[in-house]
Amino acid sequence: MTYEERVEAFRKRIQEGHKVEATDWMPDEYRARLIKFIEMHANSELMGALPERDWILRAPSLHRKLAVTAKIQDEVGHAQLLYRLVEDLGKPREKIFEDLVQGRTKFHNVFHYPTYSWGDVGIIAWLVDGAAVISQGALQRSSYAPYGRTMRRICWEEAFHLKHGEDIVLTAVMGTEKQKRLMQEALERWWEPLMMFHGPPTPPEKDKDLAWGIKTKPNEQLRQEFLSTYVRKIQEIGLKIPDPKLKYDSDKGRWTYTEPDWDKLYAVVTGNGPASKERLSFRRLSLEETAWVRRAILGERAQAA
Amino acid sequence: MHVWEVFRQEQEGEPMVHVGSVVAPDRARALEYARDIYSRRYEAYRLWLVPREAVVEVTDPDFLQPPIDRTYRMGVAYRVTVEKRRQIKEMFEKVAREVQGGG
Repeated sequence: MTYEERVEAFRKRIQEGHKVEATDWMPDEYRARLIKFIEMHANSELMGALPERDWILRAPSLHRKLAVTAKIQDEVGHAQLLYRLVEDLGKPREKIFEDLVQGRTKFHNVFHYPTYSWGDVGIIAWLVDGAAVISQGALQRSSYAPYGRTMRRICWEEAFHLKHGEDIVLTAVMGTEKQKRLMQEALERWWEPLMMFHGPPTPPEKDKDLAWGIKTKPNEQLRQEFLSTYVRKIQEIGLKIPDPKLKYDSDKGRWTYTEPDWDKLYAVVTGNGPASKERLSFRRLSLEETAWVRRAILGERAQAA
Repeated sequence: MHVWEVFRQEQEGEPMVHVGSVVAPDRARALEYARDIYSRRYEAYRLWLVPREAVVEVTDPDFLQPPIDRTYRMGVAYRVTVEKRRQIKEMFEKVAREVQGGG
């Protein structure tokens, strides 16, 4: 069988719903796309810990402090799970971190923005994680089985993040006018990034990750599911979504909304977001500061060998 | 003779689950025994055999389940959101009634 025939047979198996394991043969393009996709996901988990990290010391109660710390620990844990998958696919961790801090690889748009108040912490945990769970839920059926199985565990843990975030928002909304305003302002800051979160509405037939079964649902479908799940929940508690065009079109069976500026999304994820540089410098600094730990551990292993 | 721990994947994409072990003099024999014992009725989509000495085990509860309250990490600890949503709804309804009554 020629390489092209093997690729064709593989493609056919994927289309029939078959799954691929780490040790199975796979086409180079499939491997490269998996690495890029999962690495971006892993980077997002790692970078996603940073905006919330600033709020551990400012959490309004011991319980909130414990829960925020636990959430951050989960996000870094998710990065660990996902980096293992990328390593198994052939990219060493040192190279992954090097590419991240040099800005050669990406992470999700929402982690390129600063946080200004406790309101941001609630809205991020509830709605950013909510948007993420919609994508990650669909990824449980990825053609790459180790990724799909990892998503099951991640989604289970994310359930706590969502509920805790919703609790933060509800508690504030039940409080003083000032507390309510904190949530409304945070929602206004995060709505545009949230609408960009699932990516531009690429036609499904042009989305290569979809063709390989790495993803299982088109971007626009994920955004529609996000809106169907959360718009009512947001409005029910008296918060106003800052998009006058947002409405459910029952004739078309879909949400209509103000089209996000996709050039802006591209600019943000390529390192030109309001907090991109600060976050990457922080990550670079952490990497430098912890270099001695890696040297110490790898040094011991070298001695033992 | 060596002991091999046997892991079975019953369906494509599912996790490998430990199902038991076999004793065999070598890898080839171990594979045959495992197939004959753990997949006589096509139960296995994939089998893994792992030499028992390669398994690192820990069962110490102080290590795995230290006696610390971790309920704040569980989604179920936030069921209170249901009650809070109910209270918010009630609050809005009350305001609406007052506005109507006053107008």
